[in-house]
Amino acid sequence: MISMRNVSKIYVPNKPPALDDCTVEIEQGEFVFLVGHSGSGKSTFIRLLLRELLPSKGQIVVAGQDLTKMKSWKVPYLRRNIGCVFQDFKLLPNKTTYENIAFALEVIGRSKHVIRTQVPEVLRLVGLDEKMESYPDELSGGEQQRVSIARAFVNRPPLLLADEPTGNLDPATSLGIMSLLNRINKTGTTVLVATHDREMVDSMRKRVIALEGGKVVRDQDRGVYGYGD
Amino acid sequence: MAINFSYFMKESAVSFRRNWVMSLGAIITIYLSLLLVGVSLGSGMLLGQVVESFEDKVSIRVFLKDGAPAEQVDALQAELQANAMVQTIKYTSKEEALEEFKNRLMQDSPEVIENLPGNPLPASLDIDLKDPRNVSTVVEQIVASDSFMAVADRPDDPSKSLEYGQEIVEKLFTVTRIIRVVSIVFVAMLAVISLIFINNAIRIAIYARRKEIAIMRLVGASNWFIRTPFLMEGVLQSLVGALLAIGTLSILYFYILPKLSELMTFLPISMTGGDAAQVSIVLVVAGVVMGLAGAMFAMRRYLRV
Repeated sequence: MISMRNVSKIYVPNKPPALDDCTVEIEQGEFVFLVGHSGSGKSTFIRLLLRELLPSKGQIVVAGQDLTKMKSWKVPYLRRNIGCVFQDFKLLPNKTTYENIAFALEVIGRSKHVIRTQVPEVLRLVGLDEKMESYPDELSGGEQQRVSIARAFVNRPPLLLADEPTGNLDPATSLGIMSLLNRINKTGTTVLVATHDREMVDSMRKRVIALEGGKVVRDQDRGVYGYGD
Repeated sequence: MAINFSYFMKESAVSFRRNWVMSLGAIITIYLSLLLVGVSLGSGMLLGQVVESFEDKVSIRVFLKDGAPAEQVDALQAELQANAMVQTIKYTSKEEALEEFKNRLMQDSPEVIENLPGNPLPASLDIDLKDPRNVSTVVEQIVASDSFMAVADRPDDPSKSLEYGQEIVEKLFTVTRIIRVVSIVFVAMLAVISLIFINNAIRIAIYARRKEIAIMRLVGASNWFIRTPFLMEGVLQSLVGALLAIGTLSILYFYILPKLSELMTFLPISMTGGDAAQVSIVLVVAGVVMGLAGAMFAMRRYLRV
């Protein structure tokens, strides 16, 4: 699903690179945590996979497509295959839950019929079918993140990226979000979660890739957050 | 596609409501610049008509000296008649010239004429040309001919024995040229200002919708899907400006112009529906081009897709 070979990203010449010679393979259907301190390169990693950035060196293949050689007009079609969830939810405040999710389908040209059937379905999946007509500011943080996950997943992408999805949430709510992501993973979707939520990583016992100073310092199945303290 | 079109229209309308001040500024500047384009095009057409009508009236008048022998006058007339560029020749005798002068200019005071010691007016030949543009060629030929010198009113200064409307036509051409240059300069300046206004309006529209744009990029909306509402907004603004300009020009053409030509019956000014349609098409096309250019310019700078 994801293949990174010797990838480096240098933002400013002569400064330490954000990512330094990373090689990572992620198979279809895996659930992977990407952990590391702030500035370790987690966000750069995610943005490279979305082709918001191009690597300075190395090769990245996502869903069978080489991102370094991809024409820029094709990028939108790549992103339709990647669901994306962020710490700050990125919901539109003037649209209801339903409209927020419908918007994501509308702008990639899905028909009204598809929208009317898929939006309620994905809202049931995330457990928000009761709050379809609520606006984001009427929802709790956990609910807003569920809406955001529903929007990322409504198009059934084979890959779901989450950048600090629980960064703004309390531990109990975070647990709910993680189990939702886990459920999505069970449908066959590859899930990559960048986080520094120690308890979460330790309790889930999934594959962990640890970044430090832009380098992959650890990659273990059924890992823990680590960083011996 | 039908869904998309209504979506784009909706987005453009929402955006207009959100920052109508900037949009209005863009519309007004486009309106003014297109109005000026229309006025200069229209007045160019009208001036062309005026010039043409003057050209029609361009004839050469050759003054003959008193007592010129009839056979020599006939010889000149025959020679001119043989010229391929000449249409007609009309002989006016001294008596006829005086009569005409009396009727035309001295109706109120015939005593002035009656008190003259003799008839001071020369006999003349009026030469009409097939093509008024040949006026100076024919004049040169006449001056060079011997039969003209034999009968000319003032053989010492042949140019004084000839009268023709070349100067008027040339003056009119100069005036039209100046008007054209001035209006081009004004239109260019206004076009730049309208581009700046459209650019600003679109920039604000992009800024107002930056969250939507970020999400659209995230979920994989195609680049053109993201761009089109802004392009449409630019085109819509300039179309509104163009329609306002066409409206104003119609009022000018169909209400003010007939009044003007009533006042100035000597000038043949009128605008046909065909001319007006031509100007309208130019304005709409120019407006759309300007709107697209302004929007593209703004997107290049402010919309990263």
